[in-house]
Amino acid sequence: MQDAITTLINSSDTQGKYLDDGSLERLQNYFRSGELRAKAAMTISANAATIVTRTTAKSLLYTDITAPGGNMYTCRRYAACVRDMDYFLRYATYAMLAGDPSILDERVLNGLRETYNSLGVPVGATVRAVQAMKEVTTEMLGAEAGKEMGLYFDHICTGLS
Amino acid sequence: MSIITQSIANADREARYLSHGELNALRSFFEEGNQRLRIASILTANADRIVDKGSDIFWQRCPVTPSNSGNSTFRASCVRDQGWYIRLITYAVVVGDIDPLQDSGIKGAKAMYTALEIPLRNVVECMRCLKEAALDLLTQEDKAEVGAYFDYLIQGMTP
Repeated sequence: MQDAITTLINSSDTQGKYLDDGSLERLQNYFRSGELRAKAAMTISANAATIVTRTTAKSLLYTDITAPGGNMYTCRRYAACVRDMDYFLRYATYAMLAGDPSILDERVLNGLRETYNSLGVPVGATVRAVQAMKEVTTEMLGAEAGKEMGLYFDHICTGLS
Repeated sequence: MSIITQSIANADREARYLSHGELNALRSFFEEGNQRLRIASILTANADRIVDKGSDIFWQRCPVTPSNSGNSTFRASCVRDQGWYIRLITYAVVVGDIDPLQDSGIKGAKAMYTALEIPLRNVVECMRCLKEAALDLLTQEDKAEVGAYFDYLIQGMTP
């Protein structure tokens, strides 16, 4: 797992270079946005269940997917879906704090598409749900923090598609 | 590993969000970020000067050492390595952790210098001289921050 700082250090070290002006500026911006990130993480952590509930209501609940024959039909599958939404939110929050998507690749996306395919989980509906989560989160956090979280929700969608 | 990745890894191990305490620790880390970047900039801008001065003091204190034997390759390698250690110190200051020193500077260093027949005692002395030269450029508060990383290097090189 990397963060905004270690990524820059690792790539500079591989090239034997000091952190150049561009890197220092990026770090400055990252540190400056730290308060925004910490606050957003606090809000999400306090409202995680609400965000997941709203997301599900917005994107999945009233579609065919929860009806007999759909992939969320039977409570067991419904619960598994909600659990995965929970995971997406938590890992996107980690990535937002770190300012780096690598934790999503390592711990969420690695093998996820294959798993979903083998379980018959529709990727299209999953992507729609993650996009809905982006909207719900932005409504709660405001535009600036919402945009930052959006980067990582989009990263999940790209990784799934 | 920065305090950021460390706290995330701890939270993830327990499948939870970061606690208020952990987030407050991150906040302080973010707030001190500019100070750390400032120190790194000073060291980066003065790297050659620090190495020149460090080498001078080193060769006065340890005149009998491969880099001071008249062999220009040995001399150049010694100066180059010192530059590398200053670079690693700037990384450690920026990330607020010893990882860059440990991974790129200390692991295997003793075995390497021993294989190159460079006395470890001299390597340690050289690091001390670099530390003196670097700290000379810093304020009292910054000295404490940077000195600790040099001490970690010195400790790691001590035979």
